[in-house]
Order: sequence, then C-alpha cells, then structure tokens
Amino acid sequence: MTRDAAAFRQMTDAGLLKATAAGSHAAFAEIASRHYQSVYRLVWRMTNGAADAEDMAQEAFVRLWRNPAQVREAGALRGWLMRVAANAVIDRSRKPRSAALDDAPEVEDPQARPDAPLDRAQAARLVDARIADLPERQRLALSLVYFEGLTNIEAAAVLEVSVDALESLLARARRGLKDSLSGEWRELLGGLAETGQ
Amino acid sequence: MEQDNNRSDDRELKAVLGHSPAPELPAGAMDRLMARIAAEPQGSNVVPFVPRPSAPRPFWRLVAAVPLAASLALGIWLGASGKMDFMMPSTVTGGVVLNDDAPVDDLGGVGDAYAEEGTT
Repeated sequence: MTRDAAAFRQMTDAGLLKATAAGSHAAFAEIASRHYQSVYRLVWRMTNGAADAEDMAQEAFVRLWRNPAQVREAGALRGWLMRVAANAVIDRSRKPRSAALDDAPEVEDPQARPDAPLDRAQAARLVDARIADLPERQRLALSLVYFEGLTNIEAAAVLEVSVDALESLLARARRGLKDSLSGEWRELLGGLAETGQ
Repeated sequence: MEQDNNRSDDRELKAVLGHSPAPELPAGAMDRLMARIAAEPQGSNVVPFVPRPSAPRPFWRLVAAVPLAASLALGIWLGASGKMDFMMPSTVTGGVVLNDDAPVDDLGGVGDAYAEEGTT
C-alpha cells in the first residue's frame, strides 16, 4: 500500500485517473491530496465559508470517483473538479434556503467608527464579505484567477466562457470590489505596505 | 496607457485580496472523503449493448405481403394500359393532358397578334 502510494506520487494526473478508473483507492487518494485543498478553497470563497463548503467540495470528488472517464482531458483535472464544485455551489445558491441569513458572517460596518484603523482580522472579514457580495460568476472568476492562480485560459475553461468574457467578468469584479471598498481601499493598501506583504 | 492602468489596478487588487487568508481544509476532511469513497460504489464506464429482445416475425406477415405486392402490380398494369381511364377525371386523361388539340403552330397568343396585324 505504501509502495503504491509512493508510486502514485510520481504519476501524472492521467495515470492516476486511469488507475482510479480501475478502482484504485490509493490513486484516488493521491488525486485528492493534490487537488482537494484548492477545490475546498474555491468553494469556501464562493460560499463565504459556509458550513457545508466541505460537503460541496467532497461532492466533486465523489462524482469523479463514480465515473473517472467523465474527465476527457486528464491535464485539466483540476479545472474539471473546480467546475463541478462551482456548479454545486451555484445549484445550492439557487435552492431556497431558510438559513441563508444565518450563514452570512456579521461584518462590522467600518463607517460606524471612521477614525479607528482596521486590524488584520477586521480587514480579512471585510474583504471576504465584499467578495461574497459580488455576483456569483464574478466571484468565481476572481477566486480562480487571483486566489487559485489559474491562467485566464484555464479559468475561462472552468467557467465555460471565452477568454474575453472572463476578462470582462474580472474587470467588473475589480470595479465592484473597488467601489464597495472605496472607503477602506487606501487603508487596505497602506496596511499591506506597512506589513511588508 | 490603458495597459499600465490595468496592471496598476491588478497590483492593487492583489494587495487588497491579500488581506483575505487562505482557508485550510478542516481537520479530518481528507479522511472523511476517503471514508465516503470507500462506501461509494464505482459506476461502470461502459454501457453494455444488449439488443432488445424481440419475438420472431410471424409467418402471416409474409403471407400478407403477397396480395399487397399483387395489388401494386395490378395497379401499375391497369394504369399503363389505359383500361381504367374511363374512371379517371378528364383533366387526368383528356385532351389537355394528351395535348392533342393544340395546333402545331401554337405560339401561345403571339401568332394571333401577328394575324390581327396581317403580318402572318
């Protein structure tokens, strides 16, 4: 088993997919260890840290396990997983949910105390909340490109849009975020400069 | 110029987004995933082709084809021989169709015009 795991670590995603299709749990575990974190991060960002973020990320992997042949291009496995997870998030957001308000974390309005500087935790909560306010597809585009480091071409493939359409989504997301954080924008930039990040 | 602005916007956005920490996988998430996978049957990728079972064709279907074929052949023979033309409307069988009353020099009215002018 350990020897298997070591061998699988050397394999490409294509090889792992083939082994997974043959029923290898160890190959699947290697795929999960490579991509679960990034798929979870994407879902977390899309849902603003909802309690069921793990379930939705898990769902993408369960679908992969059920039928690995669905992934036509093994090189785009991460993109495929992200697309499935993002679709799960979008489906969830379209279902009427009674607890939707409970999911949203409370963000202190910085306008309420204009003179107080933002601390690190407040800044993080504020930025997360403003990202969560963006329309779904803009949020997804932003998360894929800025947080997950996908190229525009890869992100466009995940969103199933053209690169031009992705760039338009990103431009709108940038504008929207800048507008909603207009009061704190300079402070957020300055804070980073001070901390040397 | 526009490209410089975009780059500057991009840098600023990255700096602002840097405030948002990357969430870590919850503890035990990988184990929970693998436990779920262990309980999940893997679907077959290939759908086996099984032809739909069908009953053998009954003999009477072949017998029924004989009078149908004979009827078709009779219809073609009667139509070609003209023996049943009396039952057809004249527009199908009459002189118009046969074009037998048209004069040889029928010019579709052009000849009449020449005749009126006395040029023919």
